[in-house]
Amino acid sequence: MSFLAPLFFLGLAAIAIPILVHLIQREKKNVIEFPSLMFVQRIPYQSVRRRRIRHWFLLLMRAAAIVLIALAFARPFLPQRAAAAVAAIGGNRELVIMLDRSASMGYGDHWQRATAAARDAMGSIGANDKATLILFDWNTEVAVAATSDRGRLESAVGAAKPSAAATRYGPPLKQAETILLQSSLQRREAVLISDFQKSGWVGAEDVHFSDSMRLTPVAIRSDKMANIAVPSATFARSTFSNQERVTVTAGVANKASETAAGVPVTLEVEGQSIANQSVNIGANASASVTFDQFTLADPASRGVVKAGTDKLPIDNSFYFVLTPSQSVSALIIDSGGTEDASFFVSRALGIGNAPTFRQETVPAGRASPPLLDRRSVVILNDTTLPPGLAGGELKRFVERGGGLLVIVGPHTQWPASEAELLPGKFGTVIDRPGRGATLGYRDYSHPAFEIFKPTRSGDWSAVRFQKYRFLELEKGPSNRLLASFDDGAPFAAEKRIGTGRVIVMTSPMYDETWNDLHKKGGVFLPLIHRTVSYLGRYEQAADWRIVGDTVDLAAKSKQDRAIVTPSNERRTMRSNDPGTLELSEQGIYEIRTTAAGTGRPERIAVNVDPVESDLSILDPQELVALVTGHATESASQGVQSTPQELPAAEAERRQGLWWYVLLIGLLLLTTEMVVANYLSQRERFL
Amino acid sequence: MSHDNRESGGMAGARFVDPKILARIGNLELLARTVVDGFINGLHRAPFFGASIDFAEHRGYVAGDDIRRVDWRLYARTDRYYIKQYEADTNTNVSVLMDVSRSMKFASNGVSKLEYGSYLGACLGYLATRQRDRVGIITFDEDIVDHIPPSAKHFQQVLYTLDRAKAERPGHLSAPLRKMAEHFKRRGILLLISDFYDEPDSILEAIKPLRFLGNDLIVFHVLDPQEINFDYKDASSFEDLESREQIPVVPDSFREQYRALIKEHINGLTTRFSEQRIDYTVINTAEPLDKALFSYLGSREKMARVR
Repeated sequence: MSFLAPLFFLGLAAIAIPILVHLIQREKKNVIEFPSLMFVQRIPYQSVRRRRIRHWFLLLMRAAAIVLIALAFARPFLPQRAAAAVAAIGGNRELVIMLDRSASMGYGDHWQRATAAARDAMGSIGANDKATLILFDWNTEVAVAATSDRGRLESAVGAAKPSAAATRYGPPLKQAETILLQSSLQRREAVLISDFQKSGWVGAEDVHFSDSMRLTPVAIRSDKMANIAVPSATFARSTFSNQERVTVTAGVANKASETAAGVPVTLEVEGQSIANQSVNIGANASASVTFDQFTLADPASRGVVKAGTDKLPIDNSFYFVLTPSQSVSALIIDSGGTEDASFFVSRALGIGNAPTFRQETVPAGRASPPLLDRRSVVILNDTTLPPGLAGGELKRFVERGGGLLVIVGPHTQWPASEAELLPGKFGTVIDRPGRGATLGYRDYSHPAFEIFKPTRSGDWSAVRFQKYRFLELEKGPSNRLLASFDDGAPFAAEKRIGTGRVIVMTSPMYDETWNDLHKKGGVFLPLIHRTVSYLGRYEQAADWRIVGDTVDLAAKSKQDRAIVTPSNERRTMRSNDPGTLELSEQGIYEIRTTAAGTGRPERIAVNVDPVESDLSILDPQELVALVTGHATESASQGVQSTPQELPAAEAERRQGLWWYVLLIGLLLLTTEMVVANYLSQRERFL
Repeated sequence: MSHDNRESGGMAGARFVDPKILARIGNLELLARTVVDGFINGLHRAPFFGASIDFAEHRGYVAGDDIRRVDWRLYARTDRYYIKQYEADTNTNVSVLMDVSRSMKFASNGVSKLEYGSYLGACLGYLATRQRDRVGIITFDEDIVDHIPPSAKHFQQVLYTLDRAKAERPGHLSAPLRKMAEHFKRRGILLLISDFYDEPDSILEAIKPLRFLGNDLIVFHVLDPQEINFDYKDASSFEDLESREQIPVVPDSFREQYRALIKEHINGLTTRFSEQRIDYTVINTAEPLDKALFSYLGSREKMARVR
């Protein structure tokens, strides 16, 4: 016999009330002085005792009634196994088993225990019940849809294994809710088997189990869980003697309540161990380890940082792929006048290494098609269209994927024959004397202006434009306004031609009589860098990604590709496929274009989401309460190895013993009242 | 005043002897006179005894007889010595032995047993005084409380002692009665007033010494109506006035047994006292005093015949 609300047993103290009343009544009742009780004492004792027994009987009835009422409020129930309860109650059941297969389930024997718990849950389904198996990590997969075939369910559990992905409880719970909602069976239950990592619940999941649905958490835990992880690494690059050198700094975290001393940290590049270090990490703390510089020899060097050993090995390794920095080649064409119109633009492009800009400045008169070879971007800086690039030469350059930046100034003249290169038609020069104009609108969704979106990221209000050329923007799907002045006239606009891009800016970047943009380094430098990088299609390959990310392989070129996953699984991606690759394993993915044959493979390093290394526990009760609106008990595998029992609240609700106990108590109380009343009338005593 | 009472007493005697009305008379002497005069006026024959010189009979002289009491005239005629005997040749001592133990303060009808006993004592004292007897009093509980030796002049002291008697202590018969027995040097009439809460045999054992000198013992067993009838309704805790012990009692289921027990007790006492030739009178405090007075007078009459 167990009790749902044992605190109500405090009500047993109420037993004292009838006793006190009894005593007080005895004290208060009439005392008659009599000369001598000599004869009273001679009266056979039995008659007195009989009266006392009768009163004790009343007292016992009162006490028993109070005990029963307190017992009823304590909500008694008999613990029942789930299967027994099913047998006792009857009715078909829709059961959804959610099995967590996130990376953290690889800790120690957690996965074995989790699968055992799943099998235990499956063992309770009857011939008319239906069970669904959902495997989840970051993603949710319905491994076996509603079935009564226990064999299928068990084989699916047997085939499942922990993934490298992080945990997310929302989607599987939502899926379970949907399944249970659509079920026509009488009883709808879900079992969530997980290690209940706190990071898996963000709290905003729109999951609400109705009262008819029951969620049973099965927590897989171990005592004193400890985990060493390498959640991140940074790569500082420097160039020495035309060779790029990299300094790797790895962060090592100790998610345990005890200090980890002498944790070995190893750096391997291309399978070769090139550095070893040892580090002490405090309890629930992290440390950084910086390795010696090494020269980046291979265009796509694979590397891994390994730290320590523990029960969760997957996050002890951190993979990365280092590629040499890319550069953007820009051809600056100006009017060649004495003003040195390209001074500020050229200087701006000379700064920075991500990317580095290779630039050449030529006057418009010397510009010729061969100069466009191997160029990513052409900047027409306050100049007329170069005669050598007229006749569609620039258009073809853009159509091939090149970028064209047209910076309008006093010398800008644009022939009507090349008008289709621009997003609009040039109008007159607008003079804004006095305080001048400011930018009234910037499209922060565009890569050129995205950097200015956060607050305090570039003070555009300080930039004043006294003159600018009006651009009548043509409406069309390929044209896009990027920024405009406070009077609505465009400052920057983009046009896409083929795979290339053209951006026009309507005020020069050297002439103070037009604006002071070139003097405002806080906005000028990022604007030029971002714009030219965007036009030059610069994209620094990520050194590493996390499991669950997707990469669009078709964005670069549509070719057949052969993909080798970290587990040496080979896949082929056709050119007409969507081209999206989901990175589901930890390690290095290698992607080869089958057409190139001998070309170097593209490599992508994939690591476990750092949040998965945090084994902090979410209280299963809390999660159940959030999902169902009321708490229930969990079966903690780490604490108890007994077969799964019905949650106390559910067992109590089903048995409903308290009704009977309360009824008996009230009946007893009523009987007592009747008896007491009868005796009172008879004896005028009570 | 006594004359007036005597005149009207025949008519109003019954009224004056109602204990509740007597309780309103603060003066015990007045109370006694009222009762006794009213009572005696109601009798057909005035039972005056006192110092009588009436001849009773002759008896033969035996050695040791006072030669002054020899009837010389009869000697002259018969030549034999005869002694003349007279009835009530002397006034007697009347001692009221008043139990003032705590049980005596019980009262269910407004007059406690102690008060009733005091009235009785006063009346008997007054009656004795009128018969020229000497009156004294001894009050006792577990020991002797007050002692006024019998004397023709002690009636007022007797009344005073009765008036201030208080039932405060638990009582016991044997010890004080034994002391009293040692004290009495001259035979007389002993009026023992008590509620006799003890076993009849024990009571008799305690009383026996009082009769050693040939005292005439008149026992008044004073009981409250509730002690006799046990006419309570509600179940209550009954507290023993002497021991302070409490016992819960349900009178309805108890009454008959109690009545049987008290009856058995009274019967037991009656039997034992009559065996010992002791006058025993049960007096209900709700009843008038005349019963007690009749009892006394009857006894005094017998005493008068004692030679």
